[in-house]
Amino acid sequence: MNRKAQMVCLWSAPAFMIVFLIGFLIAGLLPPPSPHSSAIKIAHFYANHTNAIRLGLLVMLLAGAMSVPFNCLIGVHLKRIEGRSHVLAYTVVAMGAVNCILICMPVMIMTAAAFRPLRDPNLTQTLNDLAWIPFVMVFPPAVIQNLCIAFATFTDGSRKPVFPRWVAYFNLWCSFLFLPAGLLTFFKTGPFAWNGLLSFWVALTVFGSWYFVMFYALREAIKSQAADEAAGAEPATERVVPPVTAVPQHA
Amino acid sequence: MVVSLFRQRVTLVWLGLVCVTGVSWWLGTDHSAAHKLATIVVLGVAFTKVRFVGMYFMELRGAPLPLKLIFQGWCVVVCTTLLIMYLVGG
Amino acid sequence: MSSGEFTAPAGIDGAASDAAPTPRQGRTFAGHVPGEVGVWVLILGDMTVFALFFGVFMHYRDHAPALFRHSQATLNQTFGAVNTLLLLTSSLFVVLGVSAVRKRMRTVAPKLFLLALCCGLAFSVIKVLEYSAKARHGIGLNTNDFYMYYFILTGIHFFHLIIGMGVLVFLWRLSLKPDVGTKQIQYLEAGASYWHMVDLLWIVLFPLIYLVK
Repeated sequence: MNRKAQMVCLWSAPAFMIVFLIGFLIAGLLPPPSPHSSAIKIAHFYANHTNAIRLGLLVMLLAGAMSVPFNCLIGVHLKRIEGRSHVLAYTVVAMGAVNCILICMPVMIMTAAAFRPLRDPNLTQTLNDLAWIPFVMVFPPAVIQNLCIAFATFTDGSRKPVFPRWVAYFNLWCSFLFLPAGLLTFFKTGPFAWNGLLSFWVALTVFGSWYFVMFYALREAIKSQAADEAAGAEPATERVVPPVTAVPQHA
Repeated sequence: MVVSLFRQRVTLVWLGLVCVTGVSWWLGTDHSAAHKLATIVVLGVAFTKVRFVGMYFMELRGAPLPLKLIFQGWCVVVCTTLLIMYLVGG
Repeated sequence: MSSGEFTAPAGIDGAASDAAPTPRQGRTFAGHVPGEVGVWVLILGDMTVFALFFGVFMHYRDHAPALFRHSQATLNQTFGAVNTLLLLTSSLFVVLGVSAVRKRMRTVAPKLFLLALCCGLAFSVIKVLEYSAKARHGIGLNTNDFYMYYFILTGIHFFHLIIGMGVLVFLWRLSLKPDVGTKQIQYLEAGASYWHMVDLLWIVLFPLIYLVK
């Protein structure tokens, strides 16, 4: 086990959150521009704060890839649960890559909008829509990632589970809360719009708290893995590979 | 044996909840009733029902105190908040 | 793992407590967590989010009470009330089902879970009827604020109910098993608690959306 590498991946999560937040604030994107705003208003936004927006987006671009190592760390620990089959671990790793693109792509589109802020306002608004809609709306990768973590944790039949069971339930709860963002396609105002309480702010809060909880859970998992290996236990033999039934039998 | 299964306190609770639902329904659809009073009763009754569902159906009566308090606290806080918003607002 | 009748928590089924507190725990933590602690993270978390939804609804209602009252009048209160009764009854079946499993009543328990599932299906049919009736009148998500909340709040609840029906199938299958140990009872209680949550959320949604004037 490469503990140092795992710890770096672990701490990449708070680093990601901090850098992401700083980028958001520099660009003035918190709170997000309203989907209800006219094209002129959006164009003014990009024209009046152009360099701050460009810089903030650049910082957010940095954050984009920083989110990936943490997912891979989760994958490593899911592999410990899964034993020989790594399906769920691979899914979580793949979703990490997808999430990276889901940050980078909208950021790049907004960068394009800020690149020539004096173009036709309708074009700027179009670019703004094209950035914000995927930024807030694409919930399936996060949901599937969380479902994998939950499923793996529930089927962890070992004597010392990698993650405590409440982490599985927490991931299910987070999945529920990412879903309303899908409704933003129907609304330009109100709590379900892309800047609304339920589509944006609740989702952002859940997104942040997911990182806190998983950071804590992974820190414990890394510690227990190190302890296991220090005690000389062979990880493969310690695990009781659960039979594929609806209800795992406890040893 | 099946009958004995139904002869539990929980069935009585269910009966109570059903009756109270009927009362709420009547109050809520009776257009001559004083709106504000009817709404207060209807909402208060709803959260009382929730408390009973929690205590008897979810078996929280036998649960540790913190869990009981959080659940019942939710009932009280949410009910009060909604009633205040209703009375102070429109 | 004891053979024979599984003892239920104190106060339930009149059985003696199976969770006597250790001196260290003291009286505060004495008791039995239905299911497991984790499922209460989910249940209380979901209840909190719905509380937020309720608050948001009431907030927007305060801005346009006449509109809300007027639109509410087009809703079918009877359907809403029948749905409440259906869910209350399904919850009773679930409680009795869990009780039956504890009492080792192996033929009765699965039937009770199936009855609960039937209630859930009936709820779904009524919901679909309601939604399609609105759709036929050209009323949708975007018609006005009230209808937005009507469709979204009842829709999100409906989504929880559909998942709940999956949980009921899981409980039904569990109750069919010949060997019922502590773990199975734990899953039963956890699943049952989720279904009761679906019930209690509707208990609030029905008056809030259909009856509050």
